[in-house]
Amino acid sequence: MKPLQPVSVPSRVALGLGFFVLFVALWSVATFGGYVQRLFLADPLTMVGEGYKLLVEYGFAFDIGMTIWRVLGGFILAVIVALPLGILMGAYKPIEAFFEPFVSFARYLPASAFIPLLILWAGIGETQKLLVIFIGSVFQIILMIAVAVGSIRRDLVDAAYTLGASDQSVVMRVLLPNAAPEIAEILRMVLGWAWTYVIVAELIGSSSGIGHMITDSQALLNTGQIIFGIIVIGLIGLVSDFLFKAVNQRLFPWAAK
Amino acid sequence: MSKLIVDNVGKTFPARLGGQATRALMPTSLSVSDNDFITILGPSGCGKSTLLRMIGGLETPTEGRILLDGETVTGPGADRGFVFQSYTLFPWLTVAQNIAFGLREKGVPEAERLRIAADWAGRIGLKGFENHFPKQLSGGMQQRTAIARALANDPKILLLDEPFGALDNQTRALMQEMLLGIWEREQKTVLFVTHDVEEAIFMASRVVVISARPGRVKADIPVDLPHPRPYTIKTSPEFVALKERLVEEIRAEVMASAA
Repeated sequence: MKPLQPVSVPSRVALGLGFFVLFVALWSVATFGGYVQRLFLADPLTMVGEGYKLLVEYGFAFDIGMTIWRVLGGFILAVIVALPLGILMGAYKPIEAFFEPFVSFARYLPASAFIPLLILWAGIGETQKLLVIFIGSVFQIILMIAVAVGSIRRDLVDAAYTLGASDQSVVMRVLLPNAAPEIAEILRMVLGWAWTYVIVAELIGSSSGIGHMITDSQALLNTGQIIFGIIVIGLIGLVSDFLFKAVNQRLFPWAAK
Repeated sequence: MSKLIVDNVGKTFPARLGGQATRALMPTSLSVSDNDFITILGPSGCGKSTLLRMIGGLETPTEGRILLDGETVTGPGADRGFVFQSYTLFPWLTVAQNIAFGLREKGVPEAERLRIAADWAGRIGLKGFENHFPKQLSGGMQQRTAIARALANDPKILLLDEPFGALDNQTRALMQEMLLGIWEREQKTVLFVTHDVEEAIFMASRVVVISARPGRVKADIPVDLPHPRPYTIKTSPEFVALKERLVEEIRAEVMASAA
């Protein structure tokens, strides 16, 4: 292998799938071979069977829908707040000086540690779930967008001014389009993190959602169902990531490598 | 009357981190008449770019004042087109959109913008590339577009800061001919900063030589070569004589700054 030498599309797909196959193979050997007790880890076939039962008999599709709704709801709320604030912070240094220290502090506050407080404040309904996602995402998005907007080549800004651009157009017609592909990339990343928060939020005080199903299955020691739930989360993440990437490439053809 | 008056303009960059303040440019005066093509020639780091950036409004003079058509320059504006040494096309805009950037800022309607952009694309030899993104263009094509972008705004004066500095010799020679051709047709006032003696003579009606740092005007030499100037003029006796003289002037400065 040569460093940095690109790999062709068919072999990249084959290699990527290859690891999934290897992973399932190792799992099968460990479970069917009797190396791991069934109590601790279900085998792949049991997992698929449990998953089928979940979907057909226990209405798991509804739980999946609830979880997706919560992730998207909390994430979109966070974006609505973070996008304008991050852009303003990136463009105007006094605004950045005002918010940046607090936001930097707030982003290290673990969202999951807020769950008890949020239950106290907002109950165990949907508001509380959305707030966990919101708190977990909003500060991260603000800071990363501020950096993305502020990190522009100085000479591009100079060029815009010499072409007669006003301060407002420098923000709208130069800083924003320049940062747009990176902003889209940031949102893709943070959406991934939002998925981990939602499950934690659903583990406690919830009556629906993938996280709720996982806690229920834990009580019944049904590892097949737990693993099925985890895999569903992984698959949804994979699909949303893929969609995000495709949309980004569509929207920003000039930025593609 | 002079188009542009640079009146005792100097620049000192303030001290940083306990260092000493840097004198980039001694108080310098210069007057540019309408439709003049002036090249500013000097060794690297002599403050010639600083002077140009001050005229462009991108730096503030420490002393002196700059007047364009009698009005003091206080900041950058559409009346002074600027072409940078680095590639500064907006990567998210196509060639046509880049050329029309300033027009949109002025509120020119879209149909008119497209017409002007297409016209300029043709004049710089980029017909058919209007919808290309900058990353799809060569360095020479990008700089041509940058020149068109500045000129589409119809500025009073065009300022160029070593725009062909990063190009190879052959492309550079072609670009000089193209710029000179545009100037001969459009009759624009042009200020062109370079460290290349041949480039300075070929396009200019006047060469202003700046000394080593801290810069000041060392010589102001008229170039009386006829127009239009074909590239073959570079081997004419008059051209060669001027080149010898300027090479001597610059050499003395480079040695001074190296000493």
